[in-house]
Order: sequence, then C-alpha cells, then structure tokens
Amino acid sequence: MRAYTPKDDVQAKSYYTDRFYVSPQVAKQDVSSDEVFAADLEAIKAKFEVLEAYIQVEQMVVYINAKDNVDVIKLVKEELDYTQLSEMSAIDWIAKSGQFEIFYQMLSMGKRKRIRIKCFIGKDEAINSVEKLFRSADWSEREMYDMFGIEVNNHPFLKRILMPYDWEGYPLLKTYPLEGDEFAAWYEVDKIYGKEARDIIGPEIRDTARVDRYDSERFGRLGHEVPKGTKITGNEPKTPLAYQEEGGVFMIDRFDEEKSVIITDRNR
Amino acid sequence: MQHQNRLRPFFENITFDRDDNEMILNFGPQHPSAHGQLRLMLHLQQEMITKAHPDIGYLHRGMEKMAENMIYNEFMPTTDRMDYIASSSNNYGFALAVEKLIGLEVPRRAKVIRMLLLEINRLMSHLFWLATTALDIGAMTVFLFAFREREYLMDLIEDYCGARLTHAAIRIGGVPLDLPDNFIADMRRFLDKLPENIKDYEDLLDTNRIWRMRMEDVGVVSKEMALSWGCTGPMLRASGVAWDIRKEEPYELYSEVEFKVPVSDKGDNFARYRIYMEEMRQSAHILYQVADMYEETIKNNQTDLMAHAPKYISAPKIDIMTQNYSLMQHFVLVTQGMRPPVGEVYIPTESPKGELGFYINSQGGPYPYRLKLRAPSFWHTGILTDLLPGHYIPDVVSIIGTTNIVFGEVDR
Amino acid sequence: MAQHKVNYTQNAGLPVALTTIDKVVNWGRSNSIWALTYGLACCGIEMMASGASRYDFDRYGTIFRASPRQADVMIVAGTLTKKHAEFIKRLYDQMTEPRWVISMGSCANTGGMFNTYATVQGVDRIIPVDLYLPGCAPRPETLQYGVMLLQKKIRAEKAIKSQKTKRLM
Ligand code: SF4
Repeated sequence: MRAYTPKDDVQAKSYYTDRFYVSPQVAKQDVSSDEVFAADLEAIKAKFEVLEAYIQVEQMVVYINAKDNVDVIKLVKEELDYTQLSEMSAIDWIAKSGQFEIFYQMLSMGKRKRIRIKCFIGKDEAINSVEKLFRSADWSEREMYDMFGIEVNNHPFLKRILMPYDWEGYPLLKTYPLEGDEFAAWYEVDKIYGKEARDIIGPEIRDTARVDRYDSERFGRLGHEVPKGTKITGNEPKTPLAYQEEGGVFMIDRFDEEKSVIITDRNR
Repeated sequence: MQHQNRLRPFFENITFDRDDNEMILNFGPQHPSAHGQLRLMLHLQQEMITKAHPDIGYLHRGMEKMAENMIYNEFMPTTDRMDYIASSSNNYGFALAVEKLIGLEVPRRAKVIRMLLLEINRLMSHLFWLATTALDIGAMTVFLFAFREREYLMDLIEDYCGARLTHAAIRIGGVPLDLPDNFIADMRRFLDKLPENIKDYEDLLDTNRIWRMRMEDVGVVSKEMALSWGCTGPMLRASGVAWDIRKEEPYELYSEVEFKVPVSDKGDNFARYRIYMEEMRQSAHILYQVADMYEETIKNNQTDLMAHAPKYISAPKIDIMTQNYSLMQHFVLVTQGMRPPVGEVYIPTESPKGELGFYINSQGGPYPYRLKLRAPSFWHTGILTDLLPGHYIPDVVSIIGTTNIVFGEVDR
Repeated sequence: MAQHKVNYTQNAGLPVALTTIDKVVNWGRSNSIWALTYGLACCGIEMMASGASRYDFDRYGTIFRASPRQADVMIVAGTLTKKHAEFIKRLYDQMTEPRWVISMGSCANTGGMFNTYATVQGVDRIIPVDLYLPGCAPRPETLQYGVMLLQKKIRAEKAIKSQKTKRLM
C-alpha cells in the first residue's frame, strides 16, 4: 500500500514524529506588561475591534478584522508614530481553515518599537491596499499577489512581480510543489523552442544524487576526456592535465615547472 | 547560423504609432551596470525620464519555498546566496532569528567571532559597492584599488571558513570554528593600512569633477519618500534619519562597542557615497575593539563556541565521538532536524545594505511553516519607480549604483 | 622602455615565422578571448574578481565586453532562472561565430542547490555549453583554468573550415 500524502499540503514533512511529542510554545506576554504597547493597544481598541493581542519576542501582535486594515494602519501611522511598514506578506492556512493570514510588520523609530498587525481573509476574498499610506506596500502587495494569488483592491498596478507575466500557478501556496508543476517544468523549453522540442531536450533531471559516470553528453570528465556523445567503457586512457599541448604552442613559450619559481610565502 | 526558435524580435522599445516624442528604453535585464539582473523600462522625453518601471524577478530562485522544505540548519547555506556580497550577515540574521525563536543565549566567544565576521563583511560589501559604482561612473582605478583591499578581506574570511564568497560561517547557536592563530594579527595589519587606502579612494574621487557632477544633487531621496518606501541602512541615513539598528536596538555585542553612525540630510548620491566611506572607517574602529575583546576571552578562558541546548543544538564534536547520548542527539538533529517551539518571530538586523529581517512562523515541526525574508534591496529597487522620473539617462547608472542593490536579495 | 628579446635569426635568419593558417588564426583566437559579461548571481562576483586586480584576466587577453556582438565567449556565471532563460538565448544568438560558452558554477551547470520551480536545471537546456566549471562559487583560479582549457580546445579546432554549428536541437 502506498503511503498517504495529503493533497492540500505537498511540502516536506518530517518522516517521524513521536506520538507523545507536544511542541512547546514561544512565550506570550500580556500587553499590559509593556506601557508603550499597552497605550498603543488602547488607542487601537478605542476605534476598532481587536480580536486578540499579545507580546511575543518583544513585539506586539494585534489581530484585527480584515475590513479594518487600511484604517487601522492609518491610525497607527498617523497617531501612533509607526512610520515604516517594514514588511507585509501572507501565510497560507488553507489546508487548516481555508484562510490566508496577512501580516503587516510596522516599525516606530521614535518609540523603538515594532508591532505586527494581522488579519485573516477567506480563500477567494480580496484585501484592501495600503499603498496610499506606504509606498512600500506597492511592491509587497504585488509580491503577495504573485506568490499567493491574493487579490488586492485599489492597487495601482496589480501584476506579477517576481515570476514572469505569463506564469501559471502561485508558488508559495502549500499545494504547489517545490519542484514546480508540469507548466513550470517545461516553461523555458515551451517558450523558446516550442512544445515539439520537449522530446529532444528531455525532462529536467532533478535528482540531486544522480551520478552517471557513463554520461558523456552532459559532462566532460577531466583527465579522461572523450568526445561528446561517445560511449564510455571505463577504460579510457588518461589524458594528462595540462594547459598546453605537448608540442608547445605557436609563438608562446611552454610553461616549465622546473624553471619557474613557486612563491609559498604569501606575505612576500 | 541561428538556431530555430520561437523568440520573436523585440519591438517593445519602439512605439511606431506614437507621434509624441515618447520613447521607451529597455534597460537590462542583462546590463553591465545594472548590478545584476535589473530590467528598467524607461519612458523618455528627449533625454529626460518621465516614467520608470523596474522589472525584477530575473533572479527569483524560490528561497522562501525552499525554506519551507528544509530543516533549519539545512537552510543556512541558502541564506548565503541572498546578499552574496556579504554572506555572513545573512547567516547571522537567520541564526539570530532561530535563536530568538528557541530562546537561546550564545556563548561570549562565539558572539565576539560573529561580530568580527559581521564587520568584516560590512567592509567587504562597502568596498565592493565603491568598486562597482566607481566602475559604472568610469573611475576604473578605484575599482582596481578597492578590489585589491577586498581580496585581503577575502583571504581573512578564507582563513576562517575556507570559502571566499559563500561563507556559511555561522551556525544556529554559535559558530563552528575558533579563529585561526594569526587571524587577529593579520586583521590588525590590514586595518592599520585601511585608513590610508580609504584616503586614496577619497583623493581620487572627492575632488574629481566628473565624480562630483554625477553624484551631487542627483537622485535626491527626501525623508518622507525614504520612510514611505521602507528604505533602511545607508539609503535612509543619507536622507536624514539617524536610524541604525546596531545602535537603536542593539543585538550581539554592539551595545559594548563604541562607534558613530554617520548621517546626512542631503539625500543625494554624494551623501550616500560619503556615508559608505564613513561607515568603513567606523567598521574598522569596531573591529579594533572586537579584536581586543577576543583576546580578553582567551585570557578569561571562555572557550565555548556553541550554545549548550541538547534539544536543539548538537554537542561539540568531541562529545559526539565519545558519549553515547550526544551521538544519539546528534543523529536525531541531523536526520530529523530541530523542532523549535510553536510561535513566530520577526528579527531585524543591520546588514550592510539595511534592515535584513527574518520572519519565521514555526508550527513546532522541523520545517518552518512560513519564512519571509525581508531584504533591504527589495525596497531600494522599488524606490527607483519614484526616484528616476525627472532624471537624465546617465543619472540612472549612478543612482542604481548608489542604492547598492544586490539581486540575490531583491528577488530571493 | 621594455626590451623585447625577439630572436630574429631563429628561422633561417629571416624575420619570418613559417606556420599554417590554422595555427595563426587559432593563435589569434585563443589569445584574445573576449568574454561577454554575463554575471547572473553570486558567481558573477567571482567573475568580476577574476577580472580585477589580483587575478588580472587581461593577461590572458580576456577582456570583458558588454556587447554580445564583440564577444567570443559567454561566461554564464550564476543561476539562470526561467524568467531569464529567454534572454540568454537571445544574447547567444546575437554573438558572432565562432562562439563558445563557459558555464560557471553549479547553478549554471545543473541548477545547483536551487532545485526549485524557478530555476532552469542547467543552461545546457537552452544553449550548447563547451566547458563546465564546478564549484559554488568556483574560485577565480577555476575560471582561469577554464579559460586555459578553452584556449586549448580552440587550438585543436580547424580554424578556416566553417564552424560546425553547435546544435542543441
Ligand atoms: S553556483 Fe553557487 S555561487 Fe554560483 S550562482 Fe549558484 S549559488 Fe551562487
């Protein structure tokens, strides 16, 4: 019987996990333990619904509703002095709950504090763009769209950014295999030579451990060189490693190891 | 003779049917002064750029996806290939993020060695920046000079970890090796000469009319623009924001060393150039102090290089070879990988280019559930959209030069 | 002034060297291999280092050119991604014959460590390659050795016959 592999998450899995293994948690502190964060959270809570908030590894994490994202970030930027959006992206939780989690990593240079604002959106929902508040979101949101296929409302130029425009599939989804799908495997061959060249060029060799010592098509073998494509028997004569042919080269003196000085002291 | 293929000639840079004077210039993706694989679509009005559209992704190698399919230690060499000019700083950023996730304290000797590596990398990166930017602007001599000094640093790094470019010199929980015997002496010898060398570059450049004309008042990034685009590092400091993570949110031993953070409020290319030069001096200053610290650790007999945390970190080699339990631990950690606690961290560090952040979401498994690499160059490329319009074509090269973008990092 | 100690009397007292056209042409070709700068990733930095002060590629007559039309050899240094694949083919087609390709680094050889959806698993899927240099990144010495091997290869070729097109397909 073949082992069952889940179709909704094709990423690498540990081949063995102890049945009784309970993973520990990174400690979460209460927001009230830090004055600055507590005040910030109060300010956000006054206007918007906060689903959850805690401090983890010295940064405050705030969960909000996805529809509030622009307003909350506006508030945080304009009133709470979080002047930079360091990073934003998404996490794929589709296998678990059918949702994407979107996080905005913000930095306040005045307070020297960092917070992370998070929200969940459903699989086919779109999120509002914060590009008007932070220009950096322009590219981040494009990257998010490129990698997860999350649509962004009100974005000025929502196109793929890292992958080619004619790419199919969203690479960072958990359903997308690391090695890519059929489309990815033949992308460059199809584009340059056309589908009919597939047979001639052949499939990609992705087995990292593959060594074929009788292969003279892809690699020359240093010291036992044969012309491309000949059958290798294993009894090829040894070709000496040399920069020059035996008879020397026209107009150039042959390098003679005997007559040259070898410098061993690098500080000379 | 041409191979048969399906590629059609490119005519996108010529719009035949336009009668206004707009021309679209396609710059890259393989352009000698694009510092890698940047493609710029420039709309031109005579020589003036009216619209710029950077196109990236030509070096997108899927690192975030790789991270999701690799155990934590396995991913370390991949981080080398992000900002390949200063590999150790990426190693360090990743190691620090995982250590924060686990809650690990690194022994002092390892910290000192990490500091040395980080600052050497900063020097290497800035020298490389100087070399390539000068070459792009036409100052070939500076290129040759700066590469000469960089080779000395490469030798130092090579003495330490055996590689010139892709170091993988830092492990989660410490460093793998102690410094070789004459490392500190060699480094001091190099540092003693460095001020002279930097002065050489400045003599060549500072009073050079061409250099100044192409740098001064070109590519001015205002403070608001820099903040809004998420600029960090020298880009931000040249625009008048004194923000250096080493100073403001000190990690490692940066709180113990004394150094200054150069800031300029001009925001143009020349300001950035001055900041890079000054940072080199400061790095050298830090390295002297760290070298003393290293000698102190020898005196105090602090020999530990890796943190002691049997659940996550393999024991030292000698224990693995002699003790059964350590061997078992090592075996499990290598074959299955460490399992950090459930949780998430975002840890920023100041890489030579700016804020290098690692966001890790761990679900308790040996593979990260999501790993987001926050690379400074990504936004420094993005800013070209707003920065280039209004400039002339020759300025493009000098602006790309001073933003110091590295495409391994932009595209990941 | 440097003194050039040319022994003019060597060939029967005449300032003439007798040789075949093959040899002359190959001598010229092999000692002026102009390379197209094709730094794609990390390996490109090592390629630059080999062109810079310490390793000094000019000794070999290897000068980096930015235009494919002036270049003889394309040193593919770095990871070729699927998005970029099209352009390498375009640039290769623009190079004049005879042309050679050195694939530098494991990424260019086989895809290297990037066994992912976005990397081409070896440039030889797109263009024919003459020389593969192993390493990640190969040291500048490796590239120098590679260029010397390429010189050797060029010298072994028949110069005046029209070049056999290296076909991938
Ligand atoms: S072979 Fe290694 S060093 Fe070269 S481009 Fe690939 S990853 Fe970078």
